[in-house]
Amino acid sequence: MSTHSDSTTLTQSRAGKYLTFFLAGEEYGLEILKVSEIIGLQPITRVPRMPEFVRGVINLRGKVIPITDLRRKFGMAAEDSEDSCIIVVQMRGIQTGIVVDRVSEVVAVAEGDIEDAPSFGAGIRTEFLLGIGKAGGRVKLLLDIDKVLATSEIEALQAAQQAA
Amino acid sequence: MSPLNLDDAATLLMQLEATDTADLAVLRDALTDLAFENRVPLRAQPHVAKAARVLGTIVNGTAADVQAAFTEVGQSIEEAMKICDAATPPAAVGAVPVAQALAGTVNGATAIAVASGALKKQTQTAEAETAEATVAEAAVAEAVLPPPAVEASVVVAAAPVASVAPAPAVSRHQPPAHSQTERLPDDADRDLLPDFITESVECIAASEAALLSLEENPSDEEAVNTVFRAFHTVKGTSAFLGLTRIAEFAHEAESLLSRVRDKEIAYTQGCADLSLRSVDMLKDLLDVVEKALSGDGRLPLPAGYHELHQALASYDPARDANGVTLAIVPAAEDIFPAPSDAASGDHGSAVSARAESGQAASRKSGESNADATIRVRTDRLDRLIDMVGELVIAQSMIAGDETIDTSTQYELQRKVTHAGKIVRELQDLSMSMRMVPLRPTFQKLARVVRDTATKAGKTVQFTTEGDDVEIDRNMVDRLGDPLVHMVRNAVDHGVEPPHERTANGKNGLGQVRLHAYHASGNVVVELIDDGRGLHRDKIVKKAIEKGLIESDKGMSDSDVFNLIFAPGFSTAEKITDISGRGVGMDVVRRNLEEIRGRIDITSAPGKGTTFSIRLPLTLAVTDGMLVRVGSERFIIPLTHIHMSFRPEPSMLSTVVGKGEMVLLRGELMPVVRLHRLFDVPDAVESPLEGLLMIVGDGNKRTALLVDDLLGQQQVVAKAIGDGLGKVPGVSGGAILGDGRVGLILDVNETVALAQNTDSSSSLTRSVAA
Repeated sequence: MSTHSDSTTLTQSRAGKYLTFFLAGEEYGLEILKVSEIIGLQPITRVPRMPEFVRGVINLRGKVIPITDLRRKFGMAAEDSEDSCIIVVQMRGIQTGIVVDRVSEVVAVAEGDIEDAPSFGAGIRTEFLLGIGKAGGRVKLLLDIDKVLATSEIEALQAAQQAA
Repeated sequence: MSPLNLDDAATLLMQLEATDTADLAVLRDALTDLAFENRVPLRAQPHVAKAARVLGTIVNGTAADVQAAFTEVGQSIEEAMKICDAATPPAAVGAVPVAQALAGTVNGATAIAVASGALKKQTQTAEAETAEATVAEAAVAEAVLPPPAVEASVVVAAAPVASVAPAPAVSRHQPPAHSQTERLPDDADRDLLPDFITESVECIAASEAALLSLEENPSDEEAVNTVFRAFHTVKGTSAFLGLTRIAEFAHEAESLLSRVRDKEIAYTQGCADLSLRSVDMLKDLLDVVEKALSGDGRLPLPAGYHELHQALASYDPARDANGVTLAIVPAAEDIFPAPSDAASGDHGSAVSARAESGQAASRKSGESNADATIRVRTDRLDRLIDMVGELVIAQSMIAGDETIDTSTQYELQRKVTHAGKIVRELQDLSMSMRMVPLRPTFQKLARVVRDTATKAGKTVQFTTEGDDVEIDRNMVDRLGDPLVHMVRNAVDHGVEPPHERTANGKNGLGQVRLHAYHASGNVVVELIDDGRGLHRDKIVKKAIEKGLIESDKGMSDSDVFNLIFAPGFSTAEKITDISGRGVGMDVVRRNLEEIRGRIDITSAPGKGTTFSIRLPLTLAVTDGMLVRVGSERFIIPLTHIHMSFRPEPSMLSTVVGKGEMVLLRGELMPVVRLHRLFDVPDAVESPLEGLLMIVGDGNKRTALLVDDLLGQQQVVAKAIGDGLGKVPGVSGGAILGDGRVGLILDVNETVALAQNTDSSSSLTRSVAA
């Protein structure tokens, strides 16, 4: 899948349609092809002994899918609003949901409008970003959702738990 | 079997006319059966078959000259009778003159009336059988009949006619073997055959792909092995099922490949040709079996069988390297072997024969209960079951909706209830789709018993009961291996050798019995042997030797017997190649635990042993107890729960101020606070206000502290999100009645988790944050 770090392949594949959503006032973008549906926030069953950003699991028409809270994932204050909703994404055949503050729109971003994420120095991780889009006069942070939800990170956290 | 013989046929023929097509058809069927049932000598069969064929033309109205056809039939039967006379022992020869005499003397109105009357009463088979017995008696009687026997003779003449009718019926159920045209063997297992066909077709498809890749890369050993294995599998299974033709053919094909594999010959063009043609031939052969299964059980050989068989057997790498020329393939061998003297002009009859078999097939399919099946991918099936489950929940949500006013909206409520009924039926149906009977599993075990008994020099009678009990398809596969182990053990260790049995006053024939039945929502499979039983003392001695226990004090018989499931435990004095290495029983238990089965042993020395395996009906549904911990709910599988109770203060104690213990009826168990382990807020803190639930098995029991029991529930276990990886302590999720997800606890893991975690503090959150 698109876990290439090679910037040329990234540049080629970055243009396209993005679903944008808000997270603590910032606007993020998600490749539309990865999105399978948007559902309202519903009761989430907490799963014990999971990292905090894993909100738990929900029943998506008979399927149990995990829900990740992007606010917590990115270290923002956790809070749900009335507009909060769950975007169900499909990655590598696995369905999983992410909780976001508000879904905004679907925009087409041309390659020319995408810049590589600048480096902010230590403390701010940018490997989750495909790039920064500038469509519509606003800055949209384009997420590499596969990296955001990479299971390896969860596994690493689990290993940390067990070691502790 | 069919009581009609040639003489009867001759008699009958004389009494019939061209217009009695229905009776003629019956006679033709009877003759056809006769030809295929080895009741006439081999050399007579072509004549009988010819008679049947010509008779067929009369019945169909295709005979050019009816009278000539009649004569021909008569001649054929006569020829066949002559051959019979030459072949049959003297006692039976007497029958011919008797019958002929009868045909001559009783060729009067009475006989015909009785005969045709009997024909119309085809259903009265019982009468016919009585009459049949008379035939047998009459056959050995002297040719000169004394006056009192005349009456009986009328019966004799009638008997064959009456018994014509049951003949085809009998033959349908037990297709007899025939030397010329194969039929399904009598003992062919019609339940196993469809599986065999599907499996073989898959094997062959795989081998075909491998053959093609082999052609591109002749040194691909893996491909050669794939093909070899495919042929080998087909050979083995078909031989087991009595399909000798397929076995023979697969054997030749396998031999060719084995020569390639052993580098004896190169994989040349010719070799490739032959292999591919063999694959095609196997496909044809399987096709034939499949048709026979749904049709009349005949197994005509596909065109070119002999030629290809020959070419395979005589493959010469030097001569055939660039291709193999097969002998010109003649037209398909028909189900009626054409005798050399009647080889010409048989075209029409062959057609009629086909029409006939077509009729037979359609007649068969009308009453056949052979299950028509369709293969569906399990993930689709699972999805369907999921969706139906959702439908049930959605429906119950509608039914429980508060906006439906039960007092006024009677009509609406009625409709909702109606829909609910349909949904529930749909749910039952979707669940049943995963279920398969245990029969094939049990049948394989019969073979295991036979082989093991032969090796161990024992005589064992194997009986099965309840093999129509159905369980989940996924479980059947995983039940097979443990059962094989156990059955072997029962035969090898359980049942004594014949001399020992007789010395102990038992029947020399050992009994091993498999019994499956439903009991309180579970399927129980019992394996019962009447062998020497388990000796408590021996097991205890061994267990102490192995350091498994220190003494058997306080252990019940069943506890002691359960020791045989410990790894490395074996009481067999010597290791045979069948069993005794001590790897068996612990594997058995582990495999059974995987499918959530529980195994119990009861045994009495000298009387025998009973292993009873208790299995859930399906893996998809878990019987669980829904418990509340704080505001969260968990499902604990019922199989793990022994009891729950509210403790008295005197029952609780702590170790070093931390580790909590509960003393119940003399048993000390650690208390695991679920709310601490899983970091649940607002849960009941004091065990005195909550409930303790005893879980675990054997000596390692644990008390789980929960707030409350919400009730018992059947839930459909699902993997919780693939994205999460393995969740410690949780085996899966289930959709609860309100549509939310409940987590199913993995009890063993939870207990282990509690032991590894400092229960007084919860690290989880702090690490994650």
